[in-house]
Amino acid sequence: MKYFILNIILAIIWSLLEEDINASNLIIGFILGHIVLQLSRRALGPSPYLYGIFKAIDLVLYFWVEIFKTNLRLVVDVLTPINYMKPRIIAVPLDVTSDAEITALANLISLTPGSLSLDVSADRHVLYIHAMYAEDKNKVIRDVKGKLERRLLEFASPAKDNS
Amino acid sequence: MNLLSEILMFIGAFFMFVAALGVFRMPDIYMRLHANTKSATFGVLFLVSGAAWHFWEIAIVMRAIIIVIFIFATAPVAAHMLGRAAYFAKAPVWKGTLSDDMKDKYDPKTHELAGIQKNHKPTTAKSKRDKQDD
Amino acid sequence: MTILNMLSFGLLIAAFVLAFARMIRDPRREHRILALDRVVAVDLMSTLSIGLMILYAAVTGQTVFFDVAITLAFIAFLGTTAFARYLEKGKK
Repeated sequence: MKYFILNIILAIIWSLLEEDINASNLIIGFILGHIVLQLSRRALGPSPYLYGIFKAIDLVLYFWVEIFKTNLRLVVDVLTPINYMKPRIIAVPLDVTSDAEITALANLISLTPGSLSLDVSADRHVLYIHAMYAEDKNKVIRDVKGKLERRLLEFASPAKDNS
Repeated sequence: MNLLSEILMFIGAFFMFVAALGVFRMPDIYMRLHANTKSATFGVLFLVSGAAWHFWEIAIVMRAIIIVIFIFATAPVAAHMLGRAAYFAKAPVWKGTLSDDMKDKYDPKTHELAGIQKNHKPTTAKSKRDKQDD
Repeated sequence: MTILNMLSFGLLIAAFVLAFARMIRDPRREHRILALDRVVAVDLMSTLSIGLMILYAAVTGQTVFFDVAITLAFIAFLGTTAFARYLEKGKK
């Protein structure tokens, strides 16, 4: 959090040097200040802010690629008369614990690869999803846990990586 | 009106048409929810970005961003509520469905969902007798 | 209005017709129609009308429709969740 404030101060200093505080100068200053902070990361020491941004970019990129893929697949499936669906209702054990993380994971699952979150068990350890292309049940669980949940966990608690 | 925004809006309209066709011809309610959640939100994203590119004013772009964020935040929640309600209403699953892990996991009285280990069996003769003993 | 815009309008209206038909009856008639099927169709129709409004706003240049689309998105979400909640808890 300390470095976030430092980043904002750098952005303000940049726009003061440009002799005009407006939105575009502040944004440019913020980006430049962030690059400076990333470059001096080793000197500043570990911080969740500086590492978290990569995890966030990773998560967002993965999310968009997956949403493109799943939509194209759905288009093929809907427009051709043959049904390629192999649906199952699958119980996925959860590693994420807090309510906010479960909500985020459930929403991401609903929007990405051929799966729709139905409900979370009362003890918050299992998420039930309806998967559309699930010939291999374990592969779906591996995909959800290994790709989506891992990225979300790394983003939510990046401090673990620094140790 | 420039060509890029027209093409973006056409792609958006196409995805929304695919969503409607999917809702029309998918065999069971869960797969209809798939089509409704994914393709429709994707179509709105393209349509709105095309319109925002067409106007390209700060007020309109902000509104477009608000619409996209709102649709992307609410569509999975609505799908979750509908899917849950459908499971309670004992909506028939498609005959091609391979397995159902959620069977007998709901407590029929309290609507509480169990984890992997324990099952809520539907009330049998044995459990009725147990209640009478109490 | 150009050809592409007309095609987009045509696709959206065809989608609207499909959703409406889905709301009225089950085309496959394999099993009884659930009330939830209709709710899904109505949810899709609200999303489609948001899309139609934005397309109309872009074609005619009337930016007011963006505000209407935001409001409709709010109300449609509330309506869908209320229906789902009611259908889940209503039948005792």
